[in-house]
This record gives sequence, structure tokens and C-alpha cells, in this order.
Amino acid sequence: MPANEIKMTEKESLELITSMINRAKEKVNESGTLYLIWGWLILFCCLVQFVGLHFLNYPNAYLIWFLTWILAIYQVFYIRKKRKSSTVKTYMREINGYVWLVFFICMILIFFIESRFQVYSISNPLLLVLYGMPTFLSGIILKFKPLIIGGICCWALSVLSTFIPFDYQLLLIAIAIISAWIVPGYILKQNSKKENY
Amino acid sequence: MQFKELDPILHSQLRLAVMSLLISVKEAEFTFLKGKTNATSGNLSVQITKLKEAGYIDITKQFNNNYPQTICKITPKGIEAFENYVKALQTYMNL
Repeated sequence: MPANEIKMTEKESLELITSMINRAKEKVNESGTLYLIWGWLILFCCLVQFVGLHFLNYPNAYLIWFLTWILAIYQVFYIRKKRKSSTVKTYMREINGYVWLVFFICMILIFFIESRFQVYSISNPLLLVLYGMPTFLSGIILKFKPLIIGGICCWALSVLSTFIPFDYQLLLIAIAIISAWIVPGYILKQNSKKENY
Repeated sequence: MQFKELDPILHSQLRLAVMSLLISVKEAEFTFLKGKTNATSGNLSVQITKLKEAGYIDITKQFNNNYPQTICKITPKGIEAFENYVKALQTYMNL
């Protein structure tokens, strides 16, 4: 008798449904790679700009941030490659992708508006508000607490950043990135390794 | 209590497994279904064709880097049938 024709009891049917739904879930685990790559790059940019401004008095230190554009281009190819090799599309992943797309669009729009009005002094607090949004939402979507905590940290630091000078705000961004992306990134990586072995 | 009849298309191990996987995701490739159900390609192929004929799933065939891909997606009719099947099971089990 072929496997598919084996007579099932009602209980076995429900067990099969539950087990298959759980198996489909396993696939959506995040590897944390993008959190880590972005986290380390932004941390690096923050620290370089801080050293440039604070110790070397070099006003053009912000140019280091152009590195993020190179990573953004790399990311387009990375995601395309990953999508091609992926054998399943989940709603969770799709919604999460849109959350980060909205973040990216808001970021571009805020930079555009700031440059139109020539107001750069509030860049860092705004960046912290923005970083918190996708981090918090991803945490909710993936049901992953470290990201939720990371998002809240970003928002708390954005309030704190309004009380301190511009160059020190960069250090707050560094702290925010460690708590919101780097730490959760490593936890995700570890969890995904455990799931795969 | 009146017992609902269990949908014979869904009351089969492999077809039910495929539907349970597809109800959890947006769409899935044949290889994903094969890996998760541990079925043979031949058997899986026959069963997904039956599900398609019942209108429970959509099957799209496409090429990715010259490799053929079979993508399966549950239809609204399939979702309804699955929900009715689960409700019927619950009636049987007196849940």
C-alpha cells in the first residue's frame, strides 16, 4: 500500500497537520547575517566619524558613511541570490522585507528633507528613532525579544542624544547598533546554527 | 451530534502533509515539499497533481538558472477545504 493511502485516524491527522506546520516554521529562522554586516559597518562608521571629529578635528569625517552605499548595493545582489536559492516564500519573510524597505525609503526621505532645509543638527536623534522602528517590528514579526529590546534601546538613546553634543551622539549610535543589531545578530546566528545541526 | 464527512482528497497522509505545509507559507517549491515530507518525487508528483485537479493548489512551472522549478501555492478553495477538514476532525474528536 503506498504511504499516501495509509489509513489515518483523526488523531493522527491532527498530529500530522501540527508536525507539518512546525516543519514549515523551521525554515523561517533568520541567519542574522545582514544584521551583523550592517551592524559592524555602522559601528565602524560611527567610531571613525567620532575619532575624526573629536580627536582629529576633521569636519569631513562624515564621508566614511558613503561606505554604507557600497554595502547597500552589495545587499541588493545578496538578497537576489538568496531569493533564488530559497525554496520557500513565507508571509513572515515578505512582511519583514517590506518593513526594512519602508525603513530604507524613510531614511532616504529624511536625508533629502534635511539637505533641503540644511538642518543636520538633528540627524543623529532622528537616525536613532529610525533604527528603532524596523528593529522593533522585526522583533515582533520574528517573535524575537532581543530585537524588540534593541528597538526600545534605540528610542531611549534618541531621547538621551538630544541632551548631549553632536560628536558624543555618535557614540550613542554605536551603543544603539550594538544593542539593536550586533547582539541580536549573533544570537540569531547561534540559534540558526543550532537549528541546522 | 451530526458527523461531517472527512474530505477524501485531504484524508490521505501525503496530500494532507502537503496542504499543511502550504497553508503555513506563501508558496513553496517542489523540492521544499519533498524534503519536508520525505516523499519520493514520483509519489509527491502524483499527489500534488490530484490536489491541483481538485482546485486546492496552484502549480506554476518556471526556469531558474536553466533549472526547472515547480512552485506550489494553496488556493482560496484549498484554504476553505483545509479549514473544513480541521473542523470536521474536531467534531470527530469532540474538541
